[in-house]
Amino acid sequence: MQRSDRTLWIFVLVACLAGSLVSVAYPLYVIRPFRAQGARELIAALVVARYGPLVSAVSALAAVAAAVAYWRSSAPLLWRRLAAASAMLVCVLAVLARVNVFESLMFHPLEHPAFATPSEVKLDDDDKLIVVKIGGSARAYPVREMGYHHVVNDMVGGTALVATY
Amino acid sequence: MRDVDGRRLTFHLAGINNQNFLMRDEETGSYWQQISGTAISGPLKGRQLTLILSDELTFRTWKAEEPEGMVLKPVVRYASEYEAKDWDARMKLRPAVIQFPEYGMQSRDLILGIQTLGTSRAFLYDRVIQEKLVKGYVGTQPVLIVVGPDGQSVRAFRDRIPGVDGVPDFYRLNADKPGALMLDAGTGSEWNFQGCAISGKAKGGCLERIPMLKDYWFDWRNYNPQTTIWGNTTR
Repeated sequence: MQRSDRTLWIFVLVACLAGSLVSVAYPLYVIRPFRAQGARELIAALVVARYGPLVSAVSALAAVAAAVAYWRSSAPLLWRRLAAASAMLVCVLAVLARVNVFESLMFHPLEHPAFATPSEVKLDDDDKLIVVKIGGSARAYPVREMGYHHVVNDMVGGTALVATY
Repeated sequence: MRDVDGRRLTFHLAGINNQNFLMRDEETGSYWQQISGTAISGPLKGRQLTLILSDELTFRTWKAEEPEGMVLKPVVRYASEYEAKDWDARMKLRPAVIQFPEYGMQSRDLILGIQTLGTSRAFLYDRVIQEKLVKGYVGTQPVLIVVGPDGQSVRAFRDRIPGVDGVPDFYRLNADKPGALMLDAGTGSEWNFQGCAISGKAKGGCLERIPMLKDYWFDWRNYNPQTTIWGNTTR
């Protein structure tokens, strides 16, 4: 293998590493709590969050291919090991890009909301509830629970709604 | 409402934008701002969720009004991590990342926000609770804000009696009991917390409800840059 080919493989590896690092880290950096978000960086972060899984998956494939090619070259062993480690790191990042920290770790979605009558629930009289009434159906979402889950997808009186707090 | 263009969406909490959260719908991957219900990124960008009228009531008031209603059950697995009932008061202690130090307002002051026809007004929550009955205007819309018999639940109405000409003159009745909460001199009717007349000439009629959002000042002001304020005259 030519030296220029080896340089190319290294270049591919570094590019893949950079691409997947940005895919994972940039949205996390921008959309984190207790930080002021600028309008432009927020939109950029959401675009990265949207395409991050795809970009990092393609990066992982390219990085593995580049690392294999590099491994077969006559480069020093240390460099070949570094190349292999980089490709593995890109693969790890591709997995991480599929984990939405907010949706699955920081907050806990309420997948299957269940309901009870007022006499069946243990609430204090001064507990606050977010309430709606649609088509004769009355529904209440206690603030204690909404302050934790924040989002509940529901059907009330034939209307699909999302309760948020 | 979570139907958009005939498509039913399922929302997840997906991020934070200046301490107002972002939701992602799993059907299109679009991102939505909680406070406005507007899609800000993705295929549905620019679309708007239809707001459904809701109230923030105490359990006591709600179950008296809706004994047949259904309450969201706690999820056993998470119940020990649930918030205290005064979540919004406790959150006041958290720092805010954006500041609008106008009119002597603090970022975490609680307000009741009303939007009508492109104008918006923030009513200081603590003052409303003190006053119990607040009459005013949001733009050209006459509004009546009423604190419930529990001293904590609040509702807003259009300050006009349907079918009756002129400006009504509502008084707050002293008795903090369920049932009659206000009296209007014009029709001689008593009105309950649901905004319906239970006696007098207007009996059976109800006032038109106006959506109102309880929010922190910084968040309301961020999305309503032209908002006016009621109730901060003492500062």
